[in-house]
Amino acid sequence: MARSEIMLQRTKRYKKMVLFPLIASIMLILGPALLLQLYLSFNYYSIYSEGWWASEWYALDIFSEVVFDSRFHIAIVRSLGFALASTVGCFVIGFGLALLMYKNFRLQWFYYIIFIIPMLTVPIVIAYTAEMILYQKGPLNGILSSIVGRDMLIMWITNPDIALLTVVLMEVWNWAPFSFIIMMAGLASLPKEPIEAAQILGASRLKIFYEIQLPLLRPIIVLALVLRFLEAMAEFPKTWAIFQGGPGTATETIPVLIYLNTWYYFDWSKAAAMSYIVMMMMVVIILTAIKILQKENKRIAQVQAN
Amino acid sequence: MTKSQKQNLDNVIRYTLLTVWLLIVLFPLFWIVATSFKPDKDWLAWPPVYWSEEPTMSNYNNVWGGAMEHAETQYAQSVQKPFTALRNSTIISFISTFLSVSFGAFIAYGVSRYKVLSETRMFQLLMLRMVPPIVLVGPLSLYYTTIGLIDSLTGLIAIYFITTLPYAVWMTKSFIDEVPIELEQAAEIMGANRWTIITEVVFPVIRSGLLATFLFILILTWSEYLVAFILSKTDAVTLPVELAKYEGSSEGRVYGRQAALSVGITIPLIIVGITIRKHLARGFSFGMIRK
Repeated sequence: MARSEIMLQRTKRYKKMVLFPLIASIMLILGPALLLQLYLSFNYYSIYSEGWWASEWYALDIFSEVVFDSRFHIAIVRSLGFALASTVGCFVIGFGLALLMYKNFRLQWFYYIIFIIPMLTVPIVIAYTAEMILYQKGPLNGILSSIVGRDMLIMWITNPDIALLTVVLMEVWNWAPFSFIIMMAGLASLPKEPIEAAQILGASRLKIFYEIQLPLLRPIIVLALVLRFLEAMAEFPKTWAIFQGGPGTATETIPVLIYLNTWYYFDWSKAAAMSYIVMMMMVVIILTAIKILQKENKRIAQVQAN
Repeated sequence: MTKSQKQNLDNVIRYTLLTVWLLIVLFPLFWIVATSFKPDKDWLAWPPVYWSEEPTMSNYNNVWGGAMEHAETQYAQSVQKPFTALRNSTIISFISTFLSVSFGAFIAYGVSRYKVLSETRMFQLLMLRMVPPIVLVGPLSLYYTTIGLIDSLTGLIAIYFITTLPYAVWMTKSFIDEVPIELEQAAEIMGANRWTIITEVVFPVIRSGLLATFLFILILTWSEYLVAFILSKTDAVTLPVELAKYEGSSEGRVYGRQAALSVGITIPLIIVGITIRKHLARGFSFGMIRK
């Protein structure tokens, strides 16, 4: 009894000690920023004000302006669309490659090393490199032209109908390796017995894939999709460095719109109100995602324990 | 079709598809390396110049050698400080990563052995990473300006410490979970206190895991753009932010110089990443995938 009480006390002390830096840094750094964000959403601040503390009380005016701003609505839809499209793109390519590669073959290590490089490349470097490649008279159109046999001058960057697709392609190039490595790990951890048994019973490869491998992989697939989707919602460097929201408003995702409002229009309060709404929206999405992950994590642990 | 014919066909399809993706992956990487060796006139030539006939080191000399005679404008010379950026990037990413992994490992030990954070709290910790940074960097920059942390290494280190902590805790926890508890019980019987058990039994056992976590988080902080871009002006500029400064005032982007700098920024990360390739899935999945 006494011993377990001492243990309990020690554990409490350890808990306080290790959590202190985490809680302190959140309260010192994130806390004030969150309060300031809330304050700016209700008080009008522009760079012409003396300082943020001298801004004028606007009550709910700023929020209502943002809530009815169609440009903001479109940015939300665009961000969700972008995140969805790039998540699916990354997954299809990553899973496809993993299926081609998970069984040992001679050059497996070589392909694996090359295939993970994009995800190790600095995103802003990808953005600037893509701009060099996608230039209207750049190498990608050059290669396409020589394949087709006539000049193909696709306006990857300046055509508003294509621009967002271009960002999706960059994101897929960058992050397909993420799905690839996760699905490789997933496929490697599958138990061999049920698959071999099905083979002996004469099941086709397609049938084995749909009825044995896919259900077993489900939790890992969910993990790959959810994590990628959340990261894609926050994507900034590739969208910003090439497009700055343009041409027109074709690539104006949520992060870009908030950035523009803060540092181009100097409408700090509007940006703060937008950020607040987006943050609430993201918290809801993340809590849902976390619930899903928490459930699937147990299954992943089960699969991996085999 | 016989079985071996079928297998051959399988192999042909496999290698074709894999090689197509291989080329898609390698082409941009080739292009940036090629551009870094091109003289000005080949940067935007049509038809495109794949490999310059007169390869030059001038881009590298210009970026890293301080060869000022080729710098675009006086203005450009005054803002381009690649060595300051290199120093900042190194200091910021190493210190914040070190803090993140060391504090993260102690929290992870507590979670693994004493449940100092419940499972739900552990998942809530992921919020620090998952909420898009853009929603907070605006107010954060005002706050930093007010308390004098704007454009400082300390300010960036603090924010990177917070945002990478979820990765550090989750990833180190996945390694600590694999350490047999009997090892610690044995040490306890021999009279070791908790500090000794952690630092002299547990951490040495998982040292390769700790190193992998450190390198993994180093990759994330080294390549971070948005936060560094907004919270730095001149003194705390990091390499990804420095890259944007290679724009001439008249002729737009200076492709060759940017390529030369990009190559320098990226190669260390690729080497580090390939070294820890076995742990990348574990890192990116917050330790949920352990193979």
